[in-house]
Amino acid sequence: MREKPVPHASLAAEFLRDDLHRIFHDERLWGMRQKRDEQMHELPEWQELRQQASRLKEHTLAHLPHYLEQFEQNAKKNGIHVHWARDGAEHNRIVEGILKAHGHSSIIKSKSMITDECEMREYLEPKGITVTETDLGERIQQLDNQLPSHVVVPAVQKLTKDVAKVFAKHYHTDPAIDDPHALAEAQRNAARPVLLSGDTGMTGGNFLVAETGSFVVCTNEGNADLSANLPNLHIATLGIERLVPRMEDLGVFIRLLSRSALGSPITQYTTHFRKPKKGGEMHVILVDNGRSERLGMEDFWSSLKCIRCGACMNTCPVYRRSGGQSYGAVYSGPIGAIIDPTFNAKKFSTLPFASTMNGSCTNVCPVKIDIHDQLYKWRRILAERHEIPFVKKEIMKMAGRLLSQPKLYRLSISGTEVALKTMPRFVLYNYLNPWGKHRELPHPVKETFHSWYKKNRLKKETTAQEGTSS
Amino acid sequence: MSDKAMSARDVILGRLRAVKSKSPAEEAYPLPPIVMLGDQDASPERFESNLALMGGQMIHRQDGETVEAAIARAFPKRRNLCTAVPEVKGTLRIEDLTTHQEADTVDVMVVRAAFGVAEMGGIFLSEVELKDHLADVHLAQHLVVLLAKDELVGNMHNAYRERSEFRTAGYGVLMSGPSATADIEGVLIRGAQGVRSLSVVWA
Amino acid sequence: MKIGLFIPCYIDAFFPKTGIATLELLEKLGQDVEYPMDQTCCGQPMANSGCNRDAKETEALFVRNFAKYDMIVAPSGSCVHHIRENFDAIEQTDEVRHVRQNTYELVEFIHDVLRVREFPWAEFPHKVGLHNSCATLRALRTASMSELGEPFFSKPKTLLSAVKGISFATPKRPDECCGFGGTYSVTEEAVSARMGLDKVNDHHNAGAEYIVSADTSCMMHQQGCAERNGVPVRFIHIADILNGARS
Repeated sequence: MREKPVPHASLAAEFLRDDLHRIFHDERLWGMRQKRDEQMHELPEWQELRQQASRLKEHTLAHLPHYLEQFEQNAKKNGIHVHWARDGAEHNRIVEGILKAHGHSSIIKSKSMITDECEMREYLEPKGITVTETDLGERIQQLDNQLPSHVVVPAVQKLTKDVAKVFAKHYHTDPAIDDPHALAEAQRNAARPVLLSGDTGMTGGNFLVAETGSFVVCTNEGNADLSANLPNLHIATLGIERLVPRMEDLGVFIRLLSRSALGSPITQYTTHFRKPKKGGEMHVILVDNGRSERLGMEDFWSSLKCIRCGACMNTCPVYRRSGGQSYGAVYSGPIGAIIDPTFNAKKFSTLPFASTMNGSCTNVCPVKIDIHDQLYKWRRILAERHEIPFVKKEIMKMAGRLLSQPKLYRLSISGTEVALKTMPRFVLYNYLNPWGKHRELPHPVKETFHSWYKKNRLKKETTAQEGTSS
Repeated sequence: MSDKAMSARDVILGRLRAVKSKSPAEEAYPLPPIVMLGDQDASPERFESNLALMGGQMIHRQDGETVEAAIARAFPKRRNLCTAVPEVKGTLRIEDLTTHQEADTVDVMVVRAAFGVAEMGGIFLSEVELKDHLADVHLAQHLVVLLAKDELVGNMHNAYRERSEFRTAGYGVLMSGPSATADIEGVLIRGAQGVRSLSVVWA
Repeated sequence: MKIGLFIPCYIDAFFPKTGIATLELLEKLGQDVEYPMDQTCCGQPMANSGCNRDAKETEALFVRNFAKYDMIVAPSGSCVHHIRENFDAIEQTDEVRHVRQNTYELVEFIHDVLRVREFPWAEFPHKVGLHNSCATLRALRTASMSELGEPFFSKPKTLLSAVKGISFATPKRPDECCGFGGTYSVTEEAVSARMGLDKVNDHHNAGAEYIVSADTSCMMHQQGCAERNGVPVRFIHIADILNGARS
């Protein structure tokens, strides 16, 4: 099957067309970045924390099989069932199997990116298993049949009126509601009965602790605590890279996570699950889905350090102006742009180019992933694999030839000034010239620096040299 | 053996061991020692100001006032009060909740926290304090937490190092303020899915 | 010390005044400067597009032009960044390494190598907004970065502060990228132009009459956005101001 690359540029252009959405989105995420900065300024040890977090993750990834086995052993000791899934499909089959064994058919779920990555809802729902998202943002996206826009604030691209419309359709609320409080209340009221009657709870997880066999889920709404504890069956899905070696290591990550994400010191709920509740059953599914392969990629393995805080998205000037939907992927923004091509290099070949390479993402990353360097490396790989548009490749080939031949180059630019001065505006500013769509071209000049230098300096130099040699 | 015949576990661990030789190299990344960074002040004042930052509130007892009276004063309109602590009588005890539906009608829930974290204004609850009613505490509308001042730790490094509960509890939640969301247009809303308010009483 | 002057292609073709100012300024500071006539480009456009192999011949030409100089100076942060960090399409010979290690952006050359702090001939009685390109800010590190919370420093501002009559506007997002990004400006023109307009508005709203930068490419883009949208702000390269331009 030939899959088309995600048209990020045109989807982003579409998002930019509406001023209300554009301005809110940019300001909201920039506000989160500002709050993150405030938290950073309050902690003189910020850079030390980042360094420690990075080292811990690097160490863990370098010893991943060891820590996975340790986690499994300890989790089993605590009575947790541990499953392993090579890919999304296997993960979904495991979930289906657990539900079938219990005769269950309804999942109440707290937010987890990885079940989206596995396309779990799409797999389970045709089989008669209902999956209800309980995180407000994720629920809005589910009802609107969209992927999450952001790893932390999934519906950040929507305005209140958009949510009102979605809720009116599904919850039969007044479409004219313009108060977020009323909408949140509508969700609370709609979610409670579903939570109380759900037979299976699912959560993701932020961290696996090898030494204790426990896992940690961070939320603000408390929906993970409800989803996990209300039913007697709790299934948690986590990527194999989520490990930390020791309980004490959590101190470093918990102190960084929410500060980086939302600029709050901690999430409202930091929940540690170590064993099933009394009378309950607990399953942990460890998902690979391309992670082991990525670990072997010299240039890209360190992206597995990611703790999904979304700080890179908040600071990214391109993401803020293009909206998460324009990435066409579960993971959007800068981190998405380096992770997504590992899943599908053709489909996501445009994403590493959706960046000005400004490097702000790398600076805010709490685990010090060199995101913008990885974007640069992806560009090379994609060009070599012919995953960039033919025209662009040809232009670059021509540019390379031209710029390596001074005489030819001089000849070719001698026309520039004439062109800028004499060509009618409609020739210079049309759809073939993306520069001119929203921008003016540079002003024409009389002569290049090259010819000025020749006239004004070269002559003098020659005279002077002749003077000294005689 | 083919991928199919092997268990997923062995395949994944096998893949990881196979790539290990290339990157990242084990010996290049030793385990960093545990760090204790930043402000380790465990004062009640620090706890209180961070609790407020996280949207929680203090119920300060007036002179000679009992915990029970202070809570009653803070929630004059309570329809009922469910308690997990001996200090407060309430209208029903947490042990007596038989269904989640029943818990769903609880107005005010009173529990005692095992400890608090000053840095986060956070309080820790496990199955011990909750008498195994793990979900019920989150179904209540309002949560009141009794906390002893000498059960405070400074920051999260202290918490994980000094508190054994992280290693003994089956379920342990550190709550910093009430349930919250800002998922609709960035507007902060308390009481998204869980408790609408979280109050702490020094006791 | 013999200095090779590198005038990147777009400055050569569209902003020759900036090239002249750079040359004159270096001469005023007593430097022996030469402009090798066969220069074209550093190879950055191809490399940034992922087409690193297509940059090979251009990089080789660059080395042929500049290997003989003790130091190479260019009034462009992004080109210098490319040469220093990413110039690896060609084999890394001693010559290549010499070129890469001794190429300086104009501001850092004046600030760090010459350590000049006074420009008695310079006077610029205007309020300026300083635009640090991402290459100078986050790669060449000529100013502190807001994301790291490090103590404030700014080499371009230190130099500009010596100019008589100058004052500075403080934009709300001083470190925000302007959206140029090389080929990014055309491959994602809508986002790029939006970022550019936001950037010039930020400076204009802060009271800047001029946007000054060590990178002409960012300004070429910003100027295009400002002119299209009628934002009354003007643009000038830091070399022009330090060389004594009054407007």
